[in-house]
Amino acid sequence: MSVIANPDVPVKRSVTRTLNVPLNRVEGDLRIRVEVDGDTVSNAWSSGTMYRGFENMLRGRGALDGLVITPRVCGICGTAHLTAAANALDVIFKTQPPPDALRARNLALMTEHLQSDMRQAFLMFMSDFANPAYEALPLYEEAVRRYAPFKGETAIETIRQTKEVIEIVAVLGGQWPHSSYMVPGGVATTLNQVDLLQCQHLLASFKAWYERRVLGCPVARWLDVQSIADLDAWLDKDDSHRNSDLGFYIRFAREIGLADVGRGHDNFISCGALELPADSQVRGRGNSDTHLIPAGFARGTRVSPFEQKEVAEHVAHSWFEDYEGGRHPFEGETRPHATGEEGKKYSWAKAPRYEGLPAETGPLAEMIISGHPLFTDLVGRDGANAFVRELARLVRPAELMPAMERWASELTADDTLYVPRGDVTEGEGVGLTEATRGALGHWVKIADRKIQHYQIITPTAWNGSPRDAEGVRGPWEEALIGTPVGDPANPVMLGHVVRSFDPCLVCAVHVVRGTRSLARKTV
Amino acid sequence: MKRIICIGNRYDTRDEAGPKVYDRLAQNGLPHDVEVIDGGLAGLDLLRFVDGSERVVFVDAVSGFSHRAGVVVVDVDEVMEQTSAPYDHAAGLPYLLRVLPEVCQGTTPEIFLVGLEGPPGEEAVLAAAELSLALAVEGCAANALARRALSGTSG
Repeated sequence: MSVIANPDVPVKRSVTRTLNVPLNRVEGDLRIRVEVDGDTVSNAWSSGTMYRGFENMLRGRGALDGLVITPRVCGICGTAHLTAAANALDVIFKTQPPPDALRARNLALMTEHLQSDMRQAFLMFMSDFANPAYEALPLYEEAVRRYAPFKGETAIETIRQTKEVIEIVAVLGGQWPHSSYMVPGGVATTLNQVDLLQCQHLLASFKAWYERRVLGCPVARWLDVQSIADLDAWLDKDDSHRNSDLGFYIRFAREIGLADVGRGHDNFISCGALELPADSQVRGRGNSDTHLIPAGFARGTRVSPFEQKEVAEHVAHSWFEDYEGGRHPFEGETRPHATGEEGKKYSWAKAPRYEGLPAETGPLAEMIISGHPLFTDLVGRDGANAFVRELARLVRPAELMPAMERWASELTADDTLYVPRGDVTEGEGVGLTEATRGALGHWVKIADRKIQHYQIITPTAWNGSPRDAEGVRGPWEEALIGTPVGDPANPVMLGHVVRSFDPCLVCAVHVVRGTRSLARKTV
Repeated sequence: MKRIICIGNRYDTRDEAGPKVYDRLAQNGLPHDVEVIDGGLAGLDLLRFVDGSERVVFVDAVSGFSHRAGVVVVDVDEVMEQTSAPYDHAAGLPYLLRVLPEVCQGTTPEIFLVGLEGPPGEEAVLAAAELSLALAVEGCAANALARRALSGTSG
């Protein structure tokens, strides 16, 4: 923990100080610096400390190479990158995957969400409930019993369950990790009856655990919770609800005032995801008749349609060669220009904006944009905050699993999973989807059968962006404002705020700890 | 089943040792009860390959385990001790090894870690591939031989 003077910020008063926050479990390649006035954060800077550069690696390679390379952008959400890459190529090749190919794509992506949501909630976010900062709380001992690293009951069960459910991706994709089975025109795999039964079994097993351990009730019962009043009634209704991990989360969060921190801009964005197969009984949420998860942009709870042309990336405060204002990803460039940590530029992340505005993305944004009544009620009353953001992540599996069950049962063994594509030498396409952490887009141009241009905007670029050309803070920079620091050596509440966005800046960066280590610490 | 799990990022020259060993092993025929896996950056998701295995040999780039470049058999307990923090997106092999006894389905397999120190040249990759295969097939017996053979380089 170091307390330093920030050369960017003039000293306002003697009580103002700037801290490098030791959020050592956020990411090795993320640094948070806050200015503190008294005990609360008055300003914040989020710095991505690693240059990624995948866009430049892709230029000049074969048109389909994004299918193999972009899943390596992230070791956590490779299926989401594969989906976005395939979606972009479907546009370029003018291919429409057959209905069962869409089911196979969707099920894999949704499985990745199930795994990631549970790991983030119980291994990362709620492990902080076992932080010694809370040892005076009546619920502390129970938090330790549930979430202590390497031994907490829920933590261990989460690892067991999530390593099983991800088998669905291996079955559908023929390989895990780094599957590349999605191709323009469908999926390059075949599925027999045994494969389909195995997927259904794995999903049923995960659901049984989720209902028993996480919800304390059937998914159908949870889906009846449509308002704040319903939530309160659900919690009080039954001991199995109160003692579930969801019930415990709500009780602990109320105890520590989690809803009082992490407000942010109250702008939300979703690219939309999970295209509906034409012959499916699954219906889209909200008003979407094309995707299960609708695309949209919301200011507060007012939702408007999403138009990808309104996306722009700013670099005024990023270590890239300057240009005026923002540029659409088709026009954007990735030209690194490091100037050191001092001065105006302070992050390797660009600053994506929608209609010139910062926006947060992730499960909560999906809930708001799809018009989910409970989350519309919660955000309508209190605005976004760390509590509601994490709540959305905890219950997203309940929203996904009914559609997953339906799609798994609709899949037909040995059905057509691919339509041949023609020979396309040039074109451009946008591949949009929702990764576990939110809006993901690949903007691709092909010329002479090679990649001419590739720009990727990840969810964490949205959530963890630095300031834009107008000097407006990124979403979690803004969300940190007003957060009480408490013990500067253990600022657990700052960790809650940032982790409620589920930050992920991982791209195989090397971090050497001590003198003896594996060469790579980030997976 | 005995498994060799090669870890790393083939797009990062500092981290391509595991994938290079995988490529080498995949070129040749393997005994029927040995499987080689391109583990990439899957971290905790590699647990599914550990479950049900009789023996697992991880292959990865390492640093600081030897005074010079080459192949080294790394003490698994020492790797486990590298992590005490809760899970995060950076949780890799040390976290997996630490949590393995709690989450492994069935009997925890015999685990070895073959490290490649320094740039993975052709000679080192070949040596690592041969050593990994010997460890997978013969286990501790091969490990004792390897430690004697590599005593000049192991840390």
